[in-house]
Amino acid sequence: MAQSVAQKRLFHEYKNLSTNPPEGITAGPVSEDDMFYWEALIEGPGGTPFEGGVFAAELKFPKDYPLSPPTMKFVGGGVWHPNVYPNGTVCISILHPPGDDPNHYEHASERWSPIQSVEKILISVMSMLAEPNDESPANVEAAKMWRERRSEYEQKVRDEVRKGLGL
Amino acid sequence: MENSLEITDSTDWLGTPLQLLAPLESSLRCQVCKDFFDTPMITSCSHSFCSLCIRRCLTADNKCPICREGDQVLKLRRNWAVQELLDTFKTARPAVMELARKFKALKEQEENQVPEPQPKKRKANQIEQSQEVSSVEASPPRLRTRSRSVKAVPQEPEVIPEIIEDSEGEEEYIPDDGMAVCPVCDRTMKIEAVSHHIDKCLVEQEAREATERQKHTAFGVLQRQQNSPSKQLDRLPTLNYDLMNPSQLRKKFKELGIPTEGAKDLMKRRHTEWVNLWNANCDSQNPKSRMQLLRELRVWEDTQGGGSVMTVPDRNTVTSKGFDAAGWSANHNDDFKRLIASARKKTDAQVRSTIPGSSGSDQSPSTSPNGLPGKVAEDLGDR
Repeated sequence: MAQSVAQKRLFHEYKNLSTNPPEGITAGPVSEDDMFYWEALIEGPGGTPFEGGVFAAELKFPKDYPLSPPTMKFVGGGVWHPNVYPNGTVCISILHPPGDDPNHYEHASERWSPIQSVEKILISVMSMLAEPNDESPANVEAAKMWRERRSEYEQKVRDEVRKGLGL
Repeated sequence: MENSLEITDSTDWLGTPLQLLAPLESSLRCQVCKDFFDTPMITSCSHSFCSLCIRRCLTADNKCPICREGDQVLKLRRNWAVQELLDTFKTARPAVMELARKFKALKEQEENQVPEPQPKKRKANQIEQSQEVSSVEASPPRLRTRSRSVKAVPQEPEVIPEIIEDSEGEEEYIPDDGMAVCPVCDRTMKIEAVSHHIDKCLVEQEAREATERQKHTAFGVLQRQQNSPSKQLDRLPTLNYDLMNPSQLRKKFKELGIPTEGAKDLMKRRHTEWVNLWNANCDSQNPKSRMQLLRELRVWEDTQGGGSVMTVPDRNTVTSKGFDAAGWSANHNDDFKRLIASARKKTDAQVRSTIPGSSGSDQSPSTSPNGLPGKVAEDLGDR
C-alpha cells in the first residue's frame, strides 16, 4: 500500500524517537500496521509530586497529520492534575490547532504547528506535570485544590502515583 | 513492516565517529515532513520547506509553520542553494555513512579484544585520523576500497593502488619491464593481463563517468535554470469554490482530468490537493509525469479523501466510550421498527403518487427513493 504523507512522517518520528529518545520518554506505535495509534510512557518529573511515577498515554493522530495535531489521553487513570480531564484527556496548548482558541488565553506561538512533533508534545506534557497551567483548568477540582490547598494536592498526587505503581 | 528500516534519519550519525554530521543533516531536512527537502522553497520570512509541504501548510493555514508569519503560496521562491547542497550531500551520504559505521564496528571490536595483529593497528590510526577530518575528506578511504576490488583482477597488486589517483599526466612514464599501459585508464600492468583487464576497465570507466556526471549536477542545475523558462509547465490557479456550484466544479474537474465524484467539500479538498501537487511539480527540477501525479492524488484519495472512511468517526466522536450500543438498540428496538415502517410507508406513497400506474412492488422506479431507507432498515435490523 502506498504510504500517506502522515504515515511517512510518523515513521520518521518513530525512528527518531527510538534511536535518540529524550530522557524519561518512550513512545511508539502500538503496531506498525497502524501508525495512527501510539502509546507513550512518561516518567514523572523529578522534584515534583509526580516523581517516581510512570504514566501511560495514548496518542491518536488525524489523517492529515501534521497539519492537524494528535490527541493525547492518559490511560489507566491516576493523573490528578489541573490540565488533565478526569477521563485522562490532556488539555495543553501545543495540542490545539492554531485556528481556534476556545479558551481565549493561549498565545498562537504555543499552539500546534506542523513543525511540532510527538517528542515536543511529550516534553511539553512533562513540564506541564511539573508546572500546571492555572488559566484553563480541565479538572476544576484539581485546579482548586492546587491553588488553595497545595499540600493536600501534592499528597493526593503522591497517593495516586503510588497506587499506579501498585504499592 | 520494513519501511521503518528504509527511512534514513539524522540520528543515524549518532554513536558513530561522525556524529557531528547529525545537525548538518537535520538542517537539510524539511521540518514538516522530516525528510530531505524535495524541491526546497523559501518563504517571505526566509524559512525553507519542501515545495509540496509548504504549499499544503499555506493552503490550510496561510502561515509559516516555523514563525507563524502570514504568507502566500504566490510569494514562495525556489531555494537553489539548498537544492545543490542537498544533492551533493545525498550523493555522498551512503558512502560516508558506510565508512562511519565501519569505523564504529571496528572500534567496538577493538574495545572487545586486545589488539594484536599489525594491520589492525594501522586501521585504528585511520579511525583516529578521520575522526578529526570532515566528511569531505572521508572520500579517500572510499577510493581505496575501490582499488581493492580492482586488485581482484590478476595483475601486480602493488602498482595499481599507487597510480590510481594520479593516473592523469603520467602517460609518458613507461618502464620497460615487460609492462604495458591500458589504453582506457592508462594504468600500467603486465602485458599478459592487458586484454583481460580492458573489458573490466571499460565497464569501470563508464561507471566513473556516471558519478562524474552526478558530481556536476551543480553545473547541471545552472543549465537547467537557464533552459527552464522556455519549457516550464503552467501553474494552476486556485478556484473560488464559493462562487461555483457542484456541477460547475465537476465540469472544471473534467477539464483537469481529475476524479469528479464526492460531495462539494470533498471536491474542494481534492482540488486543493491537486493544485498543490501540480504546482509543486512545476517547481521541481525533474518534473514528474501527469500519470505519476494522478497516482499521488490517488494515494491522497485513499488516505485522506473519499477513500478514507475513518476520518470522520476517528476524532470528535459524539458517543462516549462506555456507551452500550447493544443495550440501547435492544431497548429501542420497537421505536426503530416503528420509524422504519413509517418511513417505508411514506416513500411507498411518494412513489405511487409520483409515478402513476406503478405499484410499490415494481422495483426499478422505486430504487432511488427507496434505496436509502431500505439500507438503513437493514443496518438497524442487524443490530
